[in-house]
Amino acid sequence: MRKVEVTVGGHTFEVDVDLNQRHDSELSVKVNGEAVKTSVPDLDAPIDQMEWIIVNDCPREIVIDPDLRWIRDKTGVHFLEVRDLEARVTRPVSRDGRIKAPIPGLIKAVFAAKGDWVEAGQPLIVLEAMKMENEIHAPKSGVVTQISVKPGQDVTLHEVLAEIS
Amino acid sequence: MFNKILIANRGEIAVRIIRTCRDMGIQPVALYEAADRGSLHVRLAGECVLLQSAHGYLDHEAIVQIALKMGVEAIHPGYGFLAESLEFVEACQQAGVVFIGPPPEVMRAQQNKIDILERVKAIGLPTVAYSARTFDVREIDALRAEADQLGYPIVIKSTRGGRGRGAYTAHTASQLDRALRRAQAEAQIIYGGTRFYLEKFITPAHMLGVQVLADDHGHVIHLGEREGSLIRGNQKMIEEAPAPCMTPHQRERLWQAALEIAQAVGMRGVGTVEFMSDLEGRFFFTEIKPRIQIEHAVTEMISSVDIVREQIRIAAGEPLSFTQAAVQLNGHAISCRITAEDPWRHYMPSPGTLRRVRLPTGHGVRVDTYAYSGCAVPAQYDPIVAKVITWGHDRMESLHRMQRALGELALIGVATTLPIHQVIVHHPEFLAADYHTESLRRDMPEDRLPPEQARDLAIAAAVAYVRRDLAGQPSVPERLQSGWHRSSRRLPE
Repeated sequence: MRKVEVTVGGHTFEVDVDLNQRHDSELSVKVNGEAVKTSVPDLDAPIDQMEWIIVNDCPREIVIDPDLRWIRDKTGVHFLEVRDLEARVTRPVSRDGRIKAPIPGLIKAVFAAKGDWVEAGQPLIVLEAMKMENEIHAPKSGVVTQISVKPGQDVTLHEVLAEIS
Repeated sequence: MFNKILIANRGEIAVRIIRTCRDMGIQPVALYEAADRGSLHVRLAGECVLLQSAHGYLDHEAIVQIALKMGVEAIHPGYGFLAESLEFVEACQQAGVVFIGPPPEVMRAQQNKIDILERVKAIGLPTVAYSARTFDVREIDALRAEADQLGYPIVIKSTRGGRGRGAYTAHTASQLDRALRRAQAEAQIIYGGTRFYLEKFITPAHMLGVQVLADDHGHVIHLGEREGSLIRGNQKMIEEAPAPCMTPHQRERLWQAALEIAQAVGMRGVGTVEFMSDLEGRFFFTEIKPRIQIEHAVTEMISSVDIVREQIRIAAGEPLSFTQAAVQLNGHAISCRITAEDPWRHYMPSPGTLRRVRLPTGHGVRVDTYAYSGCAVPAQYDPIVAKVITWGHDRMESLHRMQRALGELALIGVATTLPIHQVIVHHPEFLAADYHTESLRRDMPEDRLPPEQARDLAIAAAVAYVRRDLAGQPSVPERLQSGWHRSSRRLPE
């Protein structure tokens, strides 16, 4: 059983979800302490392919952002805030300072050198892909400990471009 | 009329041109680069030819050779790629293949953007303020002096221009170097180098374009105006026709100005006469786009004219099939330009595979796209995936239909701007037609949902969260800690 607080559309709910107790697609779900009949037919698909949810026998088509920033339904996009009320382990988001290529492409420019101090948000590298120049920014402030690419170089998805300590 | 046309383009516009060719009984021939082998335009064309060279869709010589080999009478360039390449137009002429667009002398004249501005000024119509000459990228000092004289903000534009590419704005003198560097780099990628000129930047403003058709028999007519003021960077996100910012009187004057300009510069084929207007409704000519535009479909919806059909007929030397008096503009149309870019990662392009696609349909809905379930969104090309266009008897009906159509649309597998479009078409200020070029920076309203609907969505989010957590992904994504929806209610920039 996991307890999660979700805010959406101006309402906040405490939702208990137990993925271990399921009959076919039917799950054990409580909202603000009360059991709610819930089915998720695509439970085993990736999150962005969870196409619908059936609450109290009422199917509702949805699309969920894989990073849980928003959820779409027929009425539009609704922004989500999700808080883990158990927070047993707060696994921090990777902040190790490694900058990886978000898309495959061609390095057009590098604005920092090894040993430079950079501020969070400062443009470091220009990566060309889809006919666009994309600036890649420093994820945090720090000293550049490594620049692994040169202008003119092709990079693959998730290739490490630079590192900030 | 032609029997066979080569389409020197890809993606949604190639698909759109192929459709009109089929409707006219003309055989469409497609080109493709290896990355596009499975793309929809290749699947829909009668015949297709692989472009082997490194220049691909930009290879003039290879494309003219293919045209000769395949026995086509004409080449349609679409937009982008070779649509505004004088070298290509000349190569077509020499090879005896019709270029579906302006003849070389008109293209040459229209590429001299400053000369066009001079000619418009000479017939007494208002233009934006502009630099007296063009500049090479190395003439930074001369450029700076000219910019100081015009006054900031200014926009640096490529003389090869078009589609908002290779154009960058400098709000202060300190931004000039960077704007020039980026304009130069982008122009290098897209056009292979260019000269630049400066224009005074009007902000906030409305961006307007009048669709004009001109045949070889002296007929010049217009199909009304479009507005595309909701821009991110220089790319229009939403276009509509007619422009809600104009009164009927202003609209008449704008149309008249567009016709006078088209005649003064000897426009041929289809094109758009573009203006910026300030918030008082004063409009200023900026430039002419001598080609089909991405947003042409909104005009087709309100005029019931297939603009690509007229373009092909004009290129074949036929007169326009109707007169100005026969043009009836009816109702209102809106177009959402959905691109494969991730709004929450600084609009970084997101190529990949569209695993699942569901397109909206029903009365008054049109979708121009190359997307199908399982199709690739290649990294090499422009990120436009789909245009969703809706028509209504009035603006409100077309907006409701757009809300409905975007709700039906599913593009699963790559990040797109669809969520941002959905937020915009539900925004009360957009619904009230209260917007301009700076509007995407405004705060979004509070989202209020009925409790039951919110509860169902909360359950879905909680289930997704728990699944995600069990899969070992970060328990609280970084963007949830500082997302715009928590600290502010702005759209991501």
